[in-house]
This record gives sequence, structure tokens and C-alpha cells, in this order.
Amino acid sequence: MSFFLRLAIFALSLFTITAGPVAAQEPIRIGVLLPLTGPFAKNGLENWEAMQIARDMINERGGVNGRKIEYLQGDATNPNAAISETERLITREGIKITTGSFASPLAIAVSQAAERNGVFHWETTGAAEIITRRGFKHTFQVGAPARKYGQAAVDFVVEDLAKRLKKPVADLKIALLWENRAFGKSVGDGIRAYVETKKIKLVYDEGYDQFATDMTPIVQKLKDAAPDVLIAISFPNDAILFQRKAKELNLNVAAFVGVSAGYSSPDLRTSIGDMVNGIFVADFPPKVNPNVLKPETRKVADEFYKRYEAKLQRPPAGHAAAGFSAIWALFTEVLPKAKTFQPDELREIALKLDLPEGSLVNGSGIKFTNFDWADDTKDAGQNLRASIGVWQWTKQGNEQVFPPKLATHEAIDVPMPDWNKR
Amino acid sequence: MTAFSQLLISGILIGSIYALMSIGLTLVFGVLRVVNFAHGEFLMLAMYGAWGITQVLGLNPYWGLIAIVPAMFLFGAIVHRLIVQPALDKPHLVVVFATMGLSIFMQNVALMAMSADLRDVPPVFAQSVIIGPLYFKAELLLGFVVTLVCTVALQWIIRKTYLGKAIRATVQDGEAAMLMGIPVPHIFLITFAGGSALVGLAACIMLPLFSVFPTVGLNFVLIAFVIVVLGGMGSIEGALLGGICVGVVQSLSGYYIAPAFGQMFFFILFLLVMIFRPNGLLGQKGAANIGMNS
Amino acid sequence: MASFDRASSARSPLIPLFPQWGRVSIFELALILTCIALVVVRLPTSFQDVLLLTYMFAGLALAWNIAGGYAGLISFGHAAFFGVGAYTSTILYLNLGLTPWIGLWVGGLLAAVFGAVLALVCARLRGPFFILSTLAFAEVVRLGALNWVSLTGGPEGLSIPPVSGYANMVFTSKAIYAWIMLSYAVAIYAVTKALEASRFGYYLCAIRDDEDAAAAAGVNPLIGRTAAMALSAGLTGIGGSLFAQYFLYLDPTFLISPELSFQFALLPAVGGLGTAIGPVLGSLLITPLSELLRSHLGNAAAGLHLVIYSAGLIVVMLYFPGGLAAAIAKLDWRRRRS
Repeated sequence: MSFFLRLAIFALSLFTITAGPVAAQEPIRIGVLLPLTGPFAKNGLENWEAMQIARDMINERGGVNGRKIEYLQGDATNPNAAISETERLITREGIKITTGSFASPLAIAVSQAAERNGVFHWETTGAAEIITRRGFKHTFQVGAPARKYGQAAVDFVVEDLAKRLKKPVADLKIALLWENRAFGKSVGDGIRAYVETKKIKLVYDEGYDQFATDMTPIVQKLKDAAPDVLIAISFPNDAILFQRKAKELNLNVAAFVGVSAGYSSPDLRTSIGDMVNGIFVADFPPKVNPNVLKPETRKVADEFYKRYEAKLQRPPAGHAAAGFSAIWALFTEVLPKAKTFQPDELREIALKLDLPEGSLVNGSGIKFTNFDWADDTKDAGQNLRASIGVWQWTKQGNEQVFPPKLATHEAIDVPMPDWNKR
Repeated sequence: MTAFSQLLISGILIGSIYALMSIGLTLVFGVLRVVNFAHGEFLMLAMYGAWGITQVLGLNPYWGLIAIVPAMFLFGAIVHRLIVQPALDKPHLVVVFATMGLSIFMQNVALMAMSADLRDVPPVFAQSVIIGPLYFKAELLLGFVVTLVCTVALQWIIRKTYLGKAIRATVQDGEAAMLMGIPVPHIFLITFAGGSALVGLAACIMLPLFSVFPTVGLNFVLIAFVIVVLGGMGSIEGALLGGICVGVVQSLSGYYIAPAFGQMFFFILFLLVMIFRPNGLLGQKGAANIGMNS
Repeated sequence: MASFDRASSARSPLIPLFPQWGRVSIFELALILTCIALVVVRLPTSFQDVLLLTYMFAGLALAWNIAGGYAGLISFGHAAFFGVGAYTSTILYLNLGLTPWIGLWVGGLLAAVFGAVLALVCARLRGPFFILSTLAFAEVVRLGALNWVSLTGGPEGLSIPPVSGYANMVFTSKAIYAWIMLSYAVAIYAVTKALEASRFGYYLCAIRDDEDAAAAAGVNPLIGRTAAMALSAGLTGIGGSLFAQYFLYLDPTFLISPELSFQFALLPAVGGLGTAIGPVLGSLLITPLSELLRSHLGNAAAGLHLVIYSAGLIVVMLYFPGGLAAAIAKLDWRRRRS
């Protein structure tokens, strides 16, 4: 048996040697790791649609230097499956580039498997700080680190809301509520550290379990704390539960800032109706002020939004737009400059990238850290120019309100009317 | 004090909803001696059904009861015939894994058919009911009333009707009941189907309170198990008591300790009850010893 | 289920062809040799990945079977012991620099303590009550791990640096992991066979089949159940440490998940409960099959692979309740006749 196997492997190696010269026309194969089943499936599938649109668009433009892009898909339902699927794509399919993976725990797992096999991982949206804090050489996180979400929310409160609420920043009562998973905890930690530098004290700071089915104790505690501004990091299911409970128990805050997935999902309005109006969301901008984009980027952006809406009958959420932006940058900024497509070469190219904000479809730029970030010298492969802004749910849709440069609208409904007046 | 009363009463109300969702499980558990690991997915299916009715007909989800309850009865009967009944005379683990397989099956069929989107219905009542300083969602109060009515009605059926007597006889001694001319396989079928119909009822009550998505069952199934065992296997008033315990423990521990521990405290409560009262709060003596060999 | 035919098996002088209670058979030896050969021939790395997972799950299923199959303690909380083992060796390595080669024994020991505690807590529970209590127990451990942030890293989990070396038990070669996992499975197989041949093994089966009669015959059920659970949990904990060294990332929610507990119980159930060969056959069938379904159908439609997998599971459970071991036993025509 062993003899035949060796013979087969020998034949195979001969084949690959002879196949070498024609390799230029072969497609570039990329492993896409996203949660397609299980609890994260909703956002994972939306991201997958966005990625497919990116692939179709690049292939219709003739691919990368004449080579088409081909995806191989892995179902990263949970971290263990993410590792197995990454290993499978790398070892069985010979993938040298992986991307994905939407949620932070999955990103941690996928990058772990990729790094161990010396594979280049281009993370699109995972945000937990630890992703780029493990001394990995080939993991690049194009999305913002968790702390940026928190900083955007706090900056917005300090620079914009305080004036509208007519209160000095030091007197503002801010409450922080986070879902106890990698992303929620990481953003929560970031906010806690950041408000300290601003000399603000949190009047409430607690995490809750992802399987919570009753929000009564949390809402009651918040009523006791009576904050002016509530910053909440939630996933869709618990965001809906929380808003309903807040209405039921008549918890009124002057401003509500939600962070990411739970509050930025376009279906939030279908779920809770007009209750969304006035909520602020700190996240990737779903659609930025087109004036900040470079002209050629604007064209790509328009095409992406058109295709996505045609396919899914709704505009993309911030994370889907971010997934597209990141993968498009890989196609147009990294791969065309590669010759060998070896991870070390791709790493060099990625580290040299210096794109100003407005270069990517969602308004971000790219500049990666390489153990040289003043904030944290352990950090490598983190994109410092991912833009996180704040937008607001309005009666008609949503409008970017912060930072002023990206804004399409001024914040309205501050302070928010009480529940019985809505 | 206001906070405590709010938490206590809210805990009781949400606990009664949990109880309603568990009564079907306790019935099946008590009569057939099997744990239906797909119970959460039955709930998911029924919630999707109720949601579909609100979407197509534009009615509020309570009207969905009229269609969902019989539909779930039928669904339960089919599942019983195809999966549960063939497993009854086999080792205990067979039915556990068969229903677990059904649970994975239903979750993923739902994922393929409905996608992973969250589905919701608009609130039925626009405002909370306000009693002094306390606030309650009208849907929760209604759920509480439905649970009470349902518990009393089931008690009446079990105590007073022929069907109830036949069920009790089957529980006490299946072979003797068979000899007395009670069609035990039919009793099993009706109980399982009836349990599923109760899940249908619970789903319509829960839809205005919770979103539905393919894995929604996972959020509730462990709660239902705890309630059923806590209350005592097969005890309907026990399920009500167990549900309220869970609701109150969840609500008070989240407030006075920390919400990050989530369900930990009622699991600990559950383990404590198991150590000191292995038959549950209201279970019959010896219920816990009905083990693998039966 | 296993039968007590010590006398009949003692009559056949040679090594038996098919698996028998407490004895090593030609079938089993051939199976072990095949397993070794599969590592030796150096399959392409992609298959090695599946192979080593298959061995790991075979070991874990065997460990579960000691409690679930022989002692009748059907546990859906074994992921807790798995997690305890994984966390212990990893924390010892990350914080104290203790090599996982030693850490895994500490992890196993701690998991055994957890197992003994669970058995004592649930001493009076049987059937569904026991099953659901183990499920609740694992949830308590999971939430504990999730919230003890300073020790476990909380929801962000723990990452082991992917720096290979013998001392830190991290390897780039999958073959080494395959050897480790195979040794793990073979070791637990040996433990199981020794258990079958020992007085303790008979005690356990006696407790499982009729507790009152066993107690009347002088077997202490509480000690038997506790010891079986501790042994099973300890071996599972060692498996957890090995898993940590292979995956290099621990996430509390998925490490201590009910799904993983179900997996541990499912493999022996499909293979044949209370037999030594059953869990191995279960893992040899199910682990590659689920990997195969996921990799081939995962692309077609989200969820399809799990639909097929679960439908297959229902059919197998309903129509082949004795598992694969029962099918093998049917092949053994000589014993069938006697």
C-alpha cells in the first residue's frame, strides 16, 4: 500500500512541476471562513453575499493580473469548527490565503490555525484586541480594533452629545452595558479605559450572558442608576429584548448609543418598528458621505450597493460593507503586487500599504501596525485607519452623524423623548 | 422596595411563561418517561408558524392559536409515530439520540427554509400596564393568565375525565393498565401529541415577547429541562412552581449579584434541589428512581 | 450490551477472532495495526487531520463509555471534564511555564475530582434526572470559566503560542499529533479491557444492571459509581489537554458546550454501549463522515450537511440500537451457535 501511495505522490509531484509554467492562468484560490450555520449564521451569510459580489466584480473586470479569483468556503460555526475548517482548506485544498470570519471568537480561531500553518490571513471584521496581540506574522485585521468602536462612541458623547444635552462633560452620567462575549468584553474594556483618560466616571458597568432571556434585572438596575447616556454593546437578539424591556419598564435615557452588530442590523426596524428612531450606532458606516471617497472608489461603492440591494432586497449592514471593502482592498491593493503569492511576500506588501482614509468603499484607509504602535507595541497587523463613526436611526432610514467629516446629517432627537411620548 | 417588587413580580410573570412552555415536556416526561431533546425546536417551529400567520393574514399572533395548536398536535402525532414510538422498547439512550437528531434536523431545515434572520411581530398592546410605581407588559400578564387557566384545565382533565384516568393508570402501571383494556399505545400517542399542542399554545403566547430564529430553541430548552425536573417529573402544578422559581431566581440574581452569570444560579438551585429533594419540589416519591430499565 | 460469559470464552484456547469480554482478539489487533499503518504511511496532511481527530474522539468516546456504558452513568456533562483538563494544562503552561507533558496529568487529576464530585452530588439520581443534572453541571462549569476572567481569560479565551517544540508539546507535523492521539486511544482501550477483566468491571456492570441485587451481593454502588465517574472524567480531562495542545485555542462557550458532550456520548451509542470496541468503531465511522459531509456539502447550502447527518443519526439510532459492535458480534458465527 505504502509503495503505491508513494508512487502516486511521486506522479503528483511530477504533475505539479510540469504544471508550473502555466500557473499564471490558474485562478487565485482564497479560503473564506464564515459562520454559515449556527447562531452567527445571519451575519455570516450576509458577509458571504458581500464577498461573492466582490469576487464577481473583480472577475468581470478580468481578475487580478489576468487571474480569476476562486473562493473555497469553510463553515466556521464555532471556534472549534473554524479551526478544523481552516486546517482542512489549508491542508487539503492547499490554500495559502484565508479571509473571513465575521465574529471575534471565530477570527481568533481562524487566525490561530492560519498562523500555525504559515498562511496569510486577511481578517475582514473580527475586532477583539487579542487577534493582533499574539505576535502573529501573517494575520492582518483590516477592520477596526474593538477599542475604536468604544472610542468613537465616547468621542461622540464628549464632543457632540454633551453640548446638545447642555451639560458639562464631567457631570454627564454614562452607563455601559456589554454582552459577555469576546467582542462585547473587548469593547467594554476599551471604553472603561478610555473614559478614565477623559475623567468621566461610569455610573453603571456590567456584562450579561449571551443566552439571557430576561432583561428585567438589567433594566431595573439602569433605572436605579438613571444615566444620561447609555452605551450598549449587543447582538441582534439581545438588542431587541433589551429595547422591548426598556419600553416595558419605562427606562428613559437622554441618549442611547448602541455599538455594532445588534444595533446596526438593518432588520432592527422590521423587528421593533419605530422604537429604533433616535438610537445612535457606533459601527462601520453602512454608507458614508460619498464626498469623502476617492472618485474611483465611489464608482465601486455604487456598484456594490446596487448589486447587494438587487440580490437581498435591502441595503447592506455595516459589517457586510466592511467585508466587501476589506476583500476589495485585498484584490486591488495586495494581490496585484504579488508574484509568488507566498505569505511572506504578501506580508511585505501589506505592511507597505499606506492608503489614506476614503480609499476603501466604507471610508476607511489602510495602514497596518508592525510592533510599532505607540499605544501598544505588542500589536502587529492591525489596521489603524479603519473608520468607525456614529450614525443614527431616523424616520426615513439612517444618517451618519459623527465624525463631522463623514457626517450626512446632524444628530436629532437629543434628548430622546420619553417612551410615553413616542 | 419598588425595585424588589418589580423584580419579584416580573420574575413570576416571565416564570409563568417558562412554565407554559415546559408543561408539554413534563407531560411527555411523566407519561412516556422519555426526554424530548427536540422540545426547543418544536417551540421554534410553532413560533415560525404563528409568525407566518401574522405575516400572511395580518392578524395578531393570538389568533394563530386556532391553527397552530391543532397543527402542532398533528405534528406531534407524526413525530411520535415515526421516531418516539419505535424507540420506546429500545435502550433509553436511543430515544435521547433520536430526538437529539431531530433537533439538529429541524434547526437546519429551518435555517435552509427561513434563513438565519430574526423574525418578530409588532407588539399587540401599545403600552405597559402601570400599577403604582410598577410596570408590566400586557402580553406578559396575559401569558400569566393563560398559564394559570391552562394548568387548572389540565388538572381537571387529568383528575376528572376518562382520558385523564387512563393516563394516570398508564403512569402508575403500564402493564396493568393494558390488561384493564386501556389502549396504552394510544395514550402515549395522545400525550405526546397533546404535549406538542401545548408547545404550540406557548409559542403563540411567546411570539410577541421573543424573536424567532432557527436556534431559538437552544435559548429555552435548558430552562424547560430545569423546570420539569425541578417541579417533579410529570407534575403540572410542579412545572408552574418550577417555572416561577426559575423566573424569580433569574430576576433577583441578575439584579443583586450579576447578570453575567446568566443561568448559573438557577442551575445551582437545580443541583441543590436534586441533592436534597431528588424527586423535585412536587414530584411523587420514587419518581427519580424510574431509571434506565423501565 | 456485554454479557457475562467468562466461562465460555475461557474455553477457547487460541486468541479469539472477534472481540470478547476481557480478552484481546485478532479483530482488535488487526484494527490497531491498521490504525498504526495509517499513521506510518504518511497520508497527505489533510487526511492526517481527520485521522488524528478520529483517534482523539475514539479515546474520548472510550473514556465516556467507562461511565456511560459499563456503569450506566449516562452523562451529558463530560465537556466540563474535557474543559477542566484543557484549561488546567494550558493555565499551568502559560502562567507557570509547566510543560503540558506534566500539566496533562494534573488536568486529568483535577477532572477526576470534578467527576467524583458530580457522582456524589447526583448519587440518588437515575435515568433522565441524572442526564439532565450532568447537563446542568456542565453549564455551571462553563459559566464559571466564562466569568473567572483572571484565570481563564473569560470570553476571549486562552491562546497557546504556536511555537513548536517538544517541551511545549506543539508540533508542526501532524504525524506527531496522530501518534499522540493514537497512543491516547490505545491506552484507554487497554484500560477498558483491563476493566473488563477485573473484579471492578464486574461490579460496575452489576450496579448498572441491577443496583439492589448488586448491593445485596456486597457491592457498594456509591463507591462503584463514584470511582467509575472519576476514572472516566480523569481520562476525558487528559483528552482535553491533548486537544488544547493541538487546537492551541480555548474558548469557554464552545469548549464546554452541550454539543461536545453529546458528541462524546453519541460515538459509543452508535458504536455499541458497554463494549470496548463500540466507541472505537463509532468514532471511526462518525468522525470522518461528519468531516466529509461538512467539507463536501458545506458549500452547497448552509445547513444541508447537518440535515443529512441528523437524518442518518435518527435512522441509525432507531434501526441499529445495538450499534456497530452488535453487527460485528453477528459475524461471529461460532459464538452465535453456542
